[in-house]
Amino acid sequence: MNPQHRQVVLVVLLAAACRAGAPHAELPLPPPAPAPGDTTCTIAAGRAAARDTITLAVTDPVDPGHAPLPRNDAERLVFGQLYESLIRLDCQGRPLPGLAATWEQAPGDRWGFTLRDNARFWDGAPVTARDVLASWRLRDATLAASLTVTGDRTFTVPASGPFQRLADQALAVTKPAPGGSWPIGTGRYWMTSGDPASPDVLVAQPMARTGQPVVKIATVPASAARDALDGEAGVLITDDPAALEYARTLAGYVDVPLEWNRTYVLLAPGRDKAVVGDLRLESLREAVRGDARPAEWSGPGRFWFTDLEPCGVAAGRDTLGPAGRRRRVVYKQSDRSAADLAARLVGLGALGRGAVAAGVPASAFESSLRTGGDAAYVLELRRRVYDVCRAALELPPWSSAATIEPLLDVRSHAVVRRGLPRMTLDWDGTLRLTPP
Amino acid sequence: MSFRARLLLGFGAVVLVPLTVFGWRIREVMANRLTAEYQHRVAALVSVIRADLDQRSAGIAPRLAALRDAIARDNRFRVAALQGGERSYLLDYAGDAMRLAGLSLLQIQDETGRIVSSGHFRNEYDQSDPALPRLLAAAPAGTALVEARGAEGPFLALARVDSLRIGSRRFTLVGGIAVDSSLLARLTPDSELTVAVALPSDTSSGPDPATQVVSALVVPFVMAGDSARLLPARIVVSHSLASLVALRRGVALSFLVAVLVTALVALLLASWLSTRISRPLTALAAKTADVDMDRLDVAFDSDRPDEIGALSRLLGAMTERLRAGAARLREAERRLAMGDLARQVNHDIKNGLIPIRNVFRHLGQAAGETPDRLAAAFRDRQATVDSSISYLENLASNYARLYPQPARESCDVNAAVRETVKRVGETGQANLRIELAEGLRPVRTDPLVLRRILENLIGNAIDSLAARAGSVTVSTGANGAAGVRITVADTGQGMTQEELNRAFDDFYTTKPGGTGLGLSIVRRLVLDANGTLRVETEPGAGSKFIVELPGEGA
Repeated sequence: MNPQHRQVVLVVLLAAACRAGAPHAELPLPPPAPAPGDTTCTIAAGRAAARDTITLAVTDPVDPGHAPLPRNDAERLVFGQLYESLIRLDCQGRPLPGLAATWEQAPGDRWGFTLRDNARFWDGAPVTARDVLASWRLRDATLAASLTVTGDRTFTVPASGPFQRLADQALAVTKPAPGGSWPIGTGRYWMTSGDPASPDVLVAQPMARTGQPVVKIATVPASAARDALDGEAGVLITDDPAALEYARTLAGYVDVPLEWNRTYVLLAPGRDKAVVGDLRLESLREAVRGDARPAEWSGPGRFWFTDLEPCGVAAGRDTLGPAGRRRRVVYKQSDRSAADLAARLVGLGALGRGAVAAGVPASAFESSLRTGGDAAYVLELRRRVYDVCRAALELPPWSSAATIEPLLDVRSHAVVRRGLPRMTLDWDGTLRLTPP
Repeated sequence: MSFRARLLLGFGAVVLVPLTVFGWRIREVMANRLTAEYQHRVAALVSVIRADLDQRSAGIAPRLAALRDAIARDNRFRVAALQGGERSYLLDYAGDAMRLAGLSLLQIQDETGRIVSSGHFRNEYDQSDPALPRLLAAAPAGTALVEARGAEGPFLALARVDSLRIGSRRFTLVGGIAVDSSLLARLTPDSELTVAVALPSDTSSGPDPATQVVSALVVPFVMAGDSARLLPARIVVSHSLASLVALRRGVALSFLVAVLVTALVALLLASWLSTRISRPLTALAAKTADVDMDRLDVAFDSDRPDEIGALSRLLGAMTERLRAGAARLREAERRLAMGDLARQVNHDIKNGLIPIRNVFRHLGQAAGETPDRLAAAFRDRQATVDSSISYLENLASNYARLYPQPARESCDVNAAVRETVKRVGETGQANLRIELAEGLRPVRTDPLVLRRILENLIGNAIDSLAARAGSVTVSTGANGAAGVRITVADTGQGMTQEELNRAFDDFYTTKPGGTGLGLSIVRRLVLDANGTLRVETEPGAGSKFIVELPGEGA
């Protein structure tokens, strides 16, 4: 076996180990000390070569308005380089230092955190405990209210909630940018204004000149994913079968399947099991073109979205009723897998004869989802969430009285050019460039 | 109705009625011709659509044949279909093939009718629809309209079927092109023509024949997944009659304008003409209106040679004759008036002479029978003679003044009655009685007038007895608080209603030798004294004349 082959096998084995070891059940109890390292989550496509620039090609759109909480794989990749939460979880769910360098048990059943010494915003301002408080106030007022600043760089939070929720990207520390564009973060990279000649290419500069390359993020249409591989893309995040098939023919790239991090569900207002009652859902796998598997939860318990009552989401009453809804299976127009699933459900006879699948723009989809005006919705949910109750807020208010049927788990692939610096995978599937 | 109005109406009828009929007729002829033209266009479009569908159907067949050959040569398809490998290739095959072949519908079924691959609805795989290829194969010319299922709703397609055998298995290909609104729109040459597909399941009544010209083309129809047999569907071609309606409105409006303009011109023309004709007539009428008995000097001279001139001249001649007649009439009236006056004078003088004659007759009788009492008799009757002479003098004076304004002085009605009854009663011709009320107010009038009133009424009452036994009663009484009533009642022959109606007419009398002026004079005198005169009479029972005069100070 030549060295190149050994590297490929190593990468595959590491990725497999990461997938196999990732927790699928409830989060582990917070360890008092950070994990010794996240080497099991490292992706190294061969020997790393010094590079000035790495181009990340993504097929999903990246919207600064979503920062720091990603809505798709592309945003997860980009935001992961730009923003930091207090801690992060490696692919096995073990806590690692993030913005906080250390933590410890504090009096009063609290955890005390100490921020990293060199933690700075992109504008050079040091990150203080008050910055954490200000940032959290914008996203989780309850948590912010419970935070106690104990020093310039130290603070405590109650130990009542799961420790892992502090790794949630929603709790990344940011402050508003004067221009209203990208929020100012504390990550290893900061987002520049980019090149006006290439509006589809974002340019992220490293915060410290420590040998880290400049990162360019190129948004390409799915049909042009193969062109990106033929170009200068260092990493391609995609679920397009044609692109993956093509990548496998290229010796310079390694196909790394990422985590099964999304689950497509059928969300139907009302507790009417007849929506999917006798349908042969096992045939759904063939309905989508990307990498998919029947939705499964291999750990203890069930999918996080099957029981939201512990979060105080009581079972509501279905006020609209079946007669008041359009007999449509609605999906987001830009989501091709959702379109395929909705079409398959209609093909199988979900909602009965005359029902149709309807793709609508994102804004119309969100609007319809809020009101529950259609008979059923196909949408993707994060498979792993740090905080179930926070994630439940992303569901429509009527979902506690709805039928939520898991359909498929899907995942993307990272096609990584050989010789790139190491990258690691977090518990939620975030791919991070690792400093040398 | 005036001559002018008749002329205007006549003009209107003569001009407007033919114009209206003409317009209505043009409108109808035009509508009929346009409707026929629309029907022709609709029928032509139906023929074009039939030919177009035939052509499109014929175009599907070679594409299906090419796909059939391509599938037969495709080893990946063979492996996937026969051995179950590369399932995604099989599922995506029909979609790619459909697009390459330029079709809108492509479905590959196995021999059991299970959908192996679907181009228009990729994810209907493994569903079963064996009836679709069977019905398409049985359709005339092998083509039918299919309502195919799609993920986002059903759509219509013109479809055919083909088949191939791979190994031991037989596969059918159902391919077609969409019959959608864009295709139908391309078939319609203009916006007034509409092509629509009416399916057997449609419950709408379709185009309204009242507002559209309609024709239809029947094509076999298959409802995918739900048809047991071929059903008739109709491709309905309709032509809107909106433009015809608009044209009709336009024509109607134009004709309305024409009618209004014509009516206005006719009105002006008729007005001018009627004015020209009626003006001399109006002038002639005005001249004629001026003519009366006091004015017969109106000139009707005219030089016009027409009927109006002749009429004017005839009226002039008639006026001339009227002038001569009026002169004669005035002369007759004058003579009559003179006669009346003479009779009045005669009557009044007689009334004055009768007491004198009676006195002289009495004196003569006394001189012959008792001369020694002649002086006493003379003294006894001298007052009567003096009174009569005075009456005659006054009468003469009045006539001399040609009826001057009577004097106004306070008169005792009872005294006047007594004196008059006494004077008249001396004749002894009748049984005269008086019933006088006391305390009457005096009346303010000429004593001579009051005497003439009483004399005439009492004289008439006595005359009405006509030598029969009867009586005349003269009574007085108060009339209200301030008036005086004098009643002269007789038991004579009375008057009929006809006689009563004419009793106060001048010269009307029923007495032989009467002047017919007595009651007429009485009425005039009573009226002059501001009083009233009433008569109550009954034939055979007598009459009662009631004079009511205002009392002094009333």
